Parts: sequence; C-alpha cells; structure tokens
Amino acid sequence: MTDRLAPTYRLAPIDTSTFADERAAAGTGVDGGGDFTVIGSVVQRSDARGHVTGRTEFFEDVAPARLAHLKMHRSDRHHARILDVDLSEALAVPGVLRILTHADIPNNLYTPLKLIGVGPDDEPILAVDKVRYLGEPICAVVAETEAAALEGAARVRVAYEDLPPVFDVEEALKEGAPLVNEYHGQNHFIYEGHHCRRIRFGDVEAAFARADHVFEWRYQSAPIEQAPAETTGCVVVPQADGRLRIHSDTQACFFTLDNTALILETPFNKLRIVGGTVGGGFGGKVDVVVEPVACVAAMATDRPVKFVYDRAEEMQVSSPRAAERIYIKDAVMADGRIIGRKVTLYVDAGAYARHTPYGTTKAAAHLPGPYSIPNVWADCHCVFTNRTPSSAMRGFGVTIADFALESQMDRIARALDLDPLRLRLLNAYRDGDLKAHRKVAEGTALVEVIQKAAEMAGHELPEAYRRMSSTTREGL
Amino acid sequence: MPSQIVSLVVNGERREFIAVPGATLLASLRESLGLTAAKRGCAQGACGTCTVLVDGRPEVACLVAVETVAGREVRTLEGVAAGGELDEVQSAFVDCFATQCGFCTAGMIMVAEALLERDPDPSEEDVVEAISGNVCRCTGYRPIVIAILEAARRRRAKSPQEEAVAR
Amino acid sequence: MVIQAVHVPESAEAVVTCSARGGWIMGGGTVVMPLVNSGAASVTELISLRRAGLDGVEARDGVARIGAAATLAAVGEHPGLAFLRPALRTIGSPTIRNQATVGGNLFVAQPYGDLAVCLLALDATCEIAGPDGRRDAPVADVLGSGVGSGEVVVAVRATLPEPGTWYYHKAMRRRLNSAAIVTVASVTRTSDGGVTSDGVVASAAIALGGVAPRPVRAVSAERLLRGRPLTPEVLTEAGEAAARGDIDPFDDAYASAWYRRRVLPVHLRRAFIPPVVR
Repeated sequence: MTDRLAPTYRLAPIDTSTFADERAAAGTGVDGGGDFTVIGSVVQRSDARGHVTGRTEFFEDVAPARLAHLKMHRSDRHHARILDVDLSEALAVPGVLRILTHADIPNNLYTPLKLIGVGPDDEPILAVDKVRYLGEPICAVVAETEAAALEGAARVRVAYEDLPPVFDVEEALKEGAPLVNEYHGQNHFIYEGHHCRRIRFGDVEAAFARADHVFEWRYQSAPIEQAPAETTGCVVVPQADGRLRIHSDTQACFFTLDNTALILETPFNKLRIVGGTVGGGFGGKVDVVVEPVACVAAMATDRPVKFVYDRAEEMQVSSPRAAERIYIKDAVMADGRIIGRKVTLYVDAGAYARHTPYGTTKAAAHLPGPYSIPNVWADCHCVFTNRTPSSAMRGFGVTIADFALESQMDRIARALDLDPLRLRLLNAYRDGDLKAHRKVAEGTALVEVIQKAAEMAGHELPEAYRRMSSTTREGL
Repeated sequence: MPSQIVSLVVNGERREFIAVPGATLLASLRESLGLTAAKRGCAQGACGTCTVLVDGRPEVACLVAVETVAGREVRTLEGVAAGGELDEVQSAFVDCFATQCGFCTAGMIMVAEALLERDPDPSEEDVVEAISGNVCRCTGYRPIVIAILEAARRRRAKSPQEEAVAR
Repeated sequence: MVIQAVHVPESAEAVVTCSARGGWIMGGGTVVMPLVNSGAASVTELISLRRAGLDGVEARDGVARIGAAATLAAVGEHPGLAFLRPALRTIGSPTIRNQATVGGNLFVAQPYGDLAVCLLALDATCEIAGPDGRRDAPVADVLGSGVGSGEVVVAVRATLPEPGTWYYHKAMRRRLNSAAIVTVASVTRTSDGGVTSDGVVASAAIALGGVAPRPVRAVSAERLLRGRPLTPEVLTEAGEAAARGDIDPFDDAYASAWYRRRVLPVHLRRAFIPPVVR
C-alpha cells in the first residue's frame, strides 16, 4: 500500500535540499533563527490561491454595466496611400455606436520611448494618409456588442493607392528604396547623428591582416511572436469624477499611463491604471497600443469600452521579436585566439520604432559576446521596413546576437578542429578585462560555468584548462 | 430569431439567463452568470483556457453555442473548491508551483478533474495526453504534470480503503 | 456576419426542413464556431446536430453504423471500434474529441480530417437525408464533391476490417494534437492473413491525408502492392508511386508541399512496418 501511494512518476517535485548546505553554513534558515528564513525553504506564490480558484481578476474579467466593444478596421495592404475611407455601410450596422478615425485622436502621433528622450514621434494611433504595414489600424468601430463591432469593422471601405513595399533590411538601406516612414525621413534610425549604433575598439583591419585565419559567416532569424495565452487588451471605464479607469494587461503600467496621457493631451492624474495581472507578456505587452484609442472611445461614447485583440490580431499585429541579420567576420590565430571581430548587424524594426532602437543598442552593447577580443568593429543598424513593427521580447537584441555569436564559435572550432569548449575558455572574458564598449567586466564567471558544464557532461578538459579562472590570467 | 432564455445546471445550481443568438457557453458563463474563471485565450478552440466540464467531460466553452447545451450540467473552476477549501488538484497546483501567469490554470485544473474522475491513477503519459489541448505559454508544463500526478496520489491516499476495495 | 439564429432541431427530418432555409449545419462546432467568433461566418443562421438524435454508435454483424453527430470520443470508446482508437488519438486533443463529430470530420479542410481518411480506406457509405428523402453515397463521393443543397449526412456505415488487415499511421509535428503532415490508413489483406512477411497482398485499399486538398486513395500504390509481399522495399516503391501519381500536396504552417511529397514513401512504409520505438 505504501509503495502504491509513493510517487512513481519520472518527474520529481521541487527538491529543497539543494540549499541545505548554504543554510547550515550561514547558521540561518527556518530552524537557525537567522534573518534568511526564505532561502532554501518553499514559499508559496502569493498569487497561486487566486489562480487555482479562478478568483484572480484579469482585465477582461471586469464587466462594467453598459460595456461597449471596440474592433479595429485594419490595413489589408503592406504599403499604400489612403485615398478614401467610407464609413457609411459600417455606420448602418445595427448596434454600431461610433467610428473613430485619426481626426478623433487629440495627439495622433507617438513613440513609446519618447518618455526617455527617444524620438522622433513616428507612429499614428490611427492611420492618416498612408499605411505602412499589413494590419495597421485605420479606424475603430465602437458597438453595443462584439459581433456588431466586428461586422462594422468588416464593412468599412478603404480606397488605397498601392506603394512599393520593402521587406528586406539590406534592400531597405539601398539607394532608391521606397521610403517606409516619413517621420524618420530615411529607412534607418539615427543614433546621435550616426546612421547606426557603432562600436570601434582597436584596429580590426590590422587584426585581419596578421591573422592566421579569417572566417566570415551570415546569420538570419525570423520574427518571433510572444503569443501570450491572454491577448493584448483593456477595459476603460469613465468615472463619475471625469477620470478614466483603465483595466489593462500591459506589462508597463507607468509607460501606459504616461503615453496615454500624452496622446489624450490630458494631465496624468486624469487616468488611473489598474494592472499588474498579466496573462503572459514576454515583452509583447509593453507598446501602449490598445489603451489610448479605447480611452478616446470611452470619452466619445461616455461608456465603458473594451478593446481586446483576437488571436489573429495578436499573431499578425502585436509586435514580435525583431528579425535580425548578422554578419560576423573573425580574425583567428592558429591556436584559436580570436584577435579581431567585425560585426554588421541589421535589426528589422518593421514600420515603426517601438522599442527596437533600444533593442539595437542592447545588441551593440552585447558585442562581441562574452569574449575578450582586442579589436572589435560593429555597425548595428535599426532598419525600417513594411513589416509588423517589432519590439520587446525576452532578452531582445541579445538573444539573436548570441545565436549568431555562439554558432560562429562552433563553426570556428569545427574549421580549426578545436574543442569548442577549449576555444571558448581560451577567449572567455576575465574579471577586469575592458569590454569593447569601454566597460570593465566584473563577476564574469564564464570560465567556471564552462568548466562545470564540461564536468557535468563528462567532457574532458586538459589540466591547463581546468585550472583557468575568471579572476586570474592563468593559462592565457 | 430573438434572444432565448437558456437554462443550465451550473456547479449544481439551475441558472437561467438570456442568450443572444450565437452566444457561446464561454460568453454566457462569463458575461451572463459572472463566472469568469474560464478564460478566452483564442476563441478558436486551440488553447484550452476556457475548458469547462459539460456532463462531466471537458469541452472548450468557446466553441459551444450555448443553445445547443441547454439543460445540461456544466462545471467550472468556481464549483471545484467547495466551501472555500481547495481540493486535491488545486492544492497540488499551489504546492507544486504549477501556476505562473494563471491564465491557463482554470482549463488545466478542469481537464485534471475530469481525468482523475475517470482514472484515479493515471500515468505520466495519460496526463500529458489529457492536457494536450491546453496551452501554457509560460511553458510550465513540467510542474503542471507533476501537480496532476501529485493530486492523484493525494486523492488516493485520502481514501486508501476505497482504493483497496477497488483493487 | 452577425448570427441571427441558432437552431437545435430534434430529428433528422427537422434538420432537413431547417437547412432548406439556409444556414450552416454544425456538429460539435469545432469548425463552424471559430468562424462565428471571428466574425467570419458568411451565414446568419446555424443548425446544430447536437440534439437531432444522430449520435448513435453501433457495431454488429461486422458492420459499424455511426451517427453523424457522434463525437470522436464516443467512437473511440465503443468496444466494437477499438481498431480506430489509435487513429482517433491522433486527432486534436481529448477535449476536442469530446466535441468534434464524425459528420463534421468529413467536411473539414485538409490537413485535418484524419477520420475521413480512415473512412475512405474502409470504403464507407454515407447515409444522406435531403428534401427528396434518403439516399446512400460512397464516402469518396461525399469527400470529393460534398452533398447536394439542403442535404445532410446523417450517418456513416462501414464494414469492419478483418483482424490483422487495418493499418494506420500519421506523421505530425508534435506527438499529440497536431494536424497531418501525412496520414496513411489502409485495409490490406495478405494471402497469409498478415501473420508473416512471406504472404503477398491479396487486396489493398490505401487512403492518404495531408497530401491533397481532400483525402485521396493511393491507387498507384494499391495497384503496385497487389500480389507482392509487404517488405520495406516493396512499400517504399509503392509510396514512391503514390508520391508521383496520387497526390496534390500543399504548403501550410505544418509542412511544405515538397516535404509532404518527399516523406510520403517513408510514412506509407511505416503504416505497415512501424519503426521500432526505443
């Protein structure tokens, strides 16, 4: 009977014994009476009870009386001039209350990073005279029911004049490419007067000249959608005192509050965000795209308004992780030491900046990866194309660069018939090394992590490599 | 055809409400009856966040036109913790850290309830198959599978005599 | 369009009467309701089969008769239809199988509709009710050209395969709950009853899913197998013949047309000689 009731499955529950030594050594822990009572003990998640009883309140669980529903009519072109928008058929749909266009938005131009001084404002809330990507919002249909809002949105008629689209980052930077975003004036973001985010460290050309080997490869990633279980959305409820209460699943309550106030041209204290409960975000809910227009709709109808993406919108228009194209050229000595690395990196921002200028800077700061390379040259371009605007997602800027950098390391090891771990240990940064962007590396620990990984995987390292340390120059 | 009065037995109670044509069981539970544990994740039947039990079997409520299940028994997560006390599945989800953002949790628990009612001693493979229609985008599948197996163990331990008789 | 009415008729005749006025017939709603929810339905009325008394499942005297509104779960749980269980487990999730129906499966777009592939291999017959009364039609005809205006499939009939003659294999991107890259279903008799690999094929009906807009019979492969043993070489040859002559594959999120054509011979072989699972 006892055996029968014991767990028989392969998966094991959380084992807290891992921290027993630390707890004992510190003389603390549950029994030790010290301050550190949490480390090494099991602490229930504070939100778990709400989740397992269904009582956690997500934004869409709010059901104010007289709730109206907003659905967007979106561009079905990648790049086109808007010649005419005909709302007559849509307005005739029973239950349609109001249709908002760009003229209804007090300040119809924004960029989410303006709050930290990044500009120019480059994105209309609702399209004005042009659409720059497939699915760009053109007008917002507010109706009594979701079905009526969908039907109204389907009956908006837009006349377009197609413009040539550009979908490739390198094509977009060529002379004569179609101009995607007039607010920038060219198809790249300008960093303090420069055409890209640059790193110049040592003399990379001299390194290529004296290297035993030069390797150059190209890497390309696709956009990646965060696909949270709960789609992006909000419910805006006008209050008796004239304020708006915004129930949102944003990951960025304060970004949303500030940007929405700027778009509405209203003091910040007229808005109240109720947030913090997010049904999965992963970076996909930081762009402030649903709240401003829902607020305008709530003010225009003096009713609570819900604007939530359906799954198709979440996949098509919510901003994904940017696609990147990365060229890496390395100067390598016969023993595996990398003496120069030249990186040309293109990040596809899509039609608007969103958080991608920042992601591109992060990519630059990450180069040349966790390695000490004396000569580094990098040009990191933030490029506008007629694709869905890209933005944040879990380590954006860094993740794809790492895919490229570590693939490059493996390929070099293969080309020189070297152990890929030894190649990394030889080049790994040590504490005190000056990184390419002029910061001193601290607490690196990469050497120890590789040594431990090798040990756990049963990968033999020679004594000299086992004795290497991230705090000394031993073995270099 | 105008809206209809629909009657369901929800968590053991007969409930009546007005449904507009085409209203889903999910919309009816959430908007007409105020039972918001079941979530709308995709409205396409692909994510399982709206899973409830209809006559004891899991169904995705977003694909059920509510008129078609009139009179039937529906069980939602709100009906699981009787009197505010967590049942074995719920407490195992808490103890095994099987929740993260919480959006898939209601569907996962309802699938687990139906599974354990049918099979008190499922294998790991059985659990994986049972939740194969439920998406967890925080990718916490591992603790969820552990929690369901742990819930089964706790439930069996609670009634060892019944267990012995059954064998 | 905005839905104006959902009808839940209580007999097959009432379904026919109701559908004469237009609208979409739906079984479990797994195909129709996603369109309704996204506002993409091109009708204003829905007719549900949930209460039309069409959910019976019978298997007796070597013949199965399955109501159009029987769920995939109900089919899988019927003791007389155990041979279909592995196939049903490759369709959707257990939750979806509690909703999706046999009738609905005949009308879904590929690469879904694996049960329809099975029914094609079984050479099943559809019982159809319409304004002019009842008629029978081969499932191949219904899969190929649908039913007439105002008609509804009320049941499917099939001869149960003899023991040892049923084969099924589905290649998926995931082990569970994924659409077909290639689906293979077959009723194949060998001279020795399939006990050894020495016997030769006496008759073969092979249906394929995932490789054409509709489930198709692999007639080239069937022809090639007749009179030959089910060895890997012969099966590969048959699969290559099918890839050349019997399919019209498409690109989608699961696989490209090129890939589907390329791997068909492998999966056709695996339907008869399952790979050793370690």
